[in-house]
Amino acid sequence: MKTRSWVPYAFLLPNMLIFGIFVGLPAIYGVYYSFTEWDGISSPVFIGLENFRHILTDPNFLDMLKRTFIYVVLVVPFTVISALGLAWLLTRKIKFANFFRTIFYLPVMISFIVIGLMWNWILQVDTGLINYLLSLISIDPINWLLDPVMANISVIIVTIWARVGFFMVIFIAGLQNISPTLYEAADIDGASDRVKFFKITFPMLKPITLLVIILSFIEFFKTFALVVSLTGGGPINSTKYYVQYTYDVGFNQGEFGVGSALSLILFIIMAVITLIQWKISDGGRV
Amino acid sequence: MKNKIYLLSMVLGLFILLSACSDNSDSTSSDGEGEDEVTLDVIWFSDGNEGEVFKEITDKYTEENPNIKFNIIDTPYDDLMTRIRTRVSGGDAPDLARISGVNHVQEALLDLSPYLEDKQAFLDEFVDVAIPTVERGDKIIGIPTDVTAHGLFYNKEHFEQAGVEVPQSTEDVWNWEEFKQALTQVKENSDARFALAYDLSPSRYSTLIYQNGGSIFSDDQQSLVINNSESVEALEYFKDLHDQELIPSSIWLGGENPNSLFRSGQAAMHFSGNWNIQSYEENADFEWGVTYMPEGSQRSSVAGGKQIVGFNDSEHKDAVADFLLYFSSQEVNAEFVKESSFLSTRADNAELDYEVRSEEMKVFADELAVTSELPTLDWENPNMPSVETLITENVQKVLSGDIEPQEAMDELVDNVELEN
Repeated sequence: MKTRSWVPYAFLLPNMLIFGIFVGLPAIYGVYYSFTEWDGISSPVFIGLENFRHILTDPNFLDMLKRTFIYVVLVVPFTVISALGLAWLLTRKIKFANFFRTIFYLPVMISFIVIGLMWNWILQVDTGLINYLLSLISIDPINWLLDPVMANISVIIVTIWARVGFFMVIFIAGLQNISPTLYEAADIDGASDRVKFFKITFPMLKPITLLVIILSFIEFFKTFALVVSLTGGGPINSTKYYVQYTYDVGFNQGEFGVGSALSLILFIIMAVITLIQWKISDGGRV
Repeated sequence: MKNKIYLLSMVLGLFILLSACSDNSDSTSSDGEGEDEVTLDVIWFSDGNEGEVFKEITDKYTEENPNIKFNIIDTPYDDLMTRIRTRVSGGDAPDLARISGVNHVQEALLDLSPYLEDKQAFLDEFVDVAIPTVERGDKIIGIPTDVTAHGLFYNKEHFEQAGVEVPQSTEDVWNWEEFKQALTQVKENSDARFALAYDLSPSRYSTLIYQNGGSIFSDDQQSLVINNSESVEALEYFKDLHDQELIPSSIWLGGENPNSLFRSGQAAMHFSGNWNIQSYEENADFEWGVTYMPEGSQRSSVAGGKQIVGFNDSEHKDAVADFLLYFSSQEVNAEFVKESSFLSTRADNAELDYEVRSEEMKVFADELAVTSELPTLDWENPNMPSVETLITENVQKVLSGDIEPQEAMDELVDNVELEN
């Protein structure tokens, strides 16, 4: 029978078209705009690498980059470890496991804006729920969103609360894929729970863990809606991370050229980090 | 052969899908009488009920001009500029838009002067503070529809409890020191947890600068003078009110909503503007009023303005200009501002009888009457978009104790490259 090699491509065509029009083309334009001075209204003027020079010598950019890295470096391990922990607990034979899985997964289904606003009400210093409850037992209010360090801690806690369920589900799938025969063999050899976890579970989960780390790293580096609705980037920019910074430069200050250049730099950072993680883990091989 | 038919039908299906997604509302089509029917796209935002009032006005206009229809696109204020910009840069500019400040989009706006017989006579119909909002060089790029004024709301119950009287006329306006004392007394002697909720807004903050005789830009608008002594004193006063916990720091540093603090009865006063009248009228369940803002070396408010503008890329420029001039006429403007509880931009609509809170509107109107053109010029300066972000940041740094007022303002001036 003759192979009809064009059939798969025909099926791919709709997706390719939509991807091309709504992702590919704008991305190409974005690269072009990053070499121009453009206010979004008049015609772009080509200025070569000027935007990149401006960005890389701007102390505000370097501050923001440092801030974003600290946030990501803190939030990724906490999220991965708590997701793994929850997954491990909820795949054991405990009562109501499915109920708890649902509970931990629920926040994933709420939009970031809603989560941010909800926690904003909970954490407000003067009118927030937590400080009100604390006041009932005569504890001084905590400056959740008022103090730069506390605001960052608040954002980290809320991020983990919002996303741990998603990564937990991935880990649960990974855990259920590990063949029970491995554990049975270990039991025969008299291995302890700890040994089983570090010698079987953890190595077998390596590809999944790598996936979770890369996914969460990229996701948290691009965090935007949740933080904007929770703290608005404040106090004094202390929680303004990469994407909000880019948005401000583009849409609030009207510098679309610089904004596009910032997006291109973000893309390069993400690509480099993903490559490094891939190399370190040897392509995620077990 | 069968496969080719499948493929063909799939491509055809996709084509139909895509064309269904596209904007197929052909805006010009002939009607029976041979006159072209025109639909004008209006990007609109509302703070209160002005959207409904605008709709009534456009309906009336359509009655008189049956070939002109309006497609009003309601947009949240936060997305307004993004939406306008995206449409303009994508070659799909709307015909009309309501905006607050033309700075971000002025290149794209329709110049109305060719449609006016006497440009100067037209401008003279408006109050002084409104003219700079639409005049750019020798162009007139919009119609000022309403002005906003900053002012002071107060909770009558808290003030009665504390036995503090607010100024009843322009004769007995508080000075800054008296204002601070009044706030302290109300905080100590009433149920209010906080004396004053002060909007997190560089524009609201700048009111203090003007009250103290300072300004943000120099008189010729060519340089920044926000680090001179009058402006720095204003910042010191603002910081003092925070240090005395008369204003809760949670607003400027923690994003607390000042409207909620006032509306829920937790703050005795709210330093904001006349656009809150409708919402407090409907939502505040206590007696409230509006009083005069305190004076530093002089009284001053800040006039903010809203404009309605047409776009250069509109296909119906004549219709756009005709509607804009209709909308700016005395009668239509009076209807628009009265029913929306706004202050008019027209000199001949200065004394309107409002159905809601007429007394309070008069206080706001008086705040504007004593305000010079300077705040408007400052806030219409093309450099303001980058400067205002820095004002907020540097004021916040001062409030959090990171940096001294003078240092903060010097730093601001050093960090701005003015473009002109």
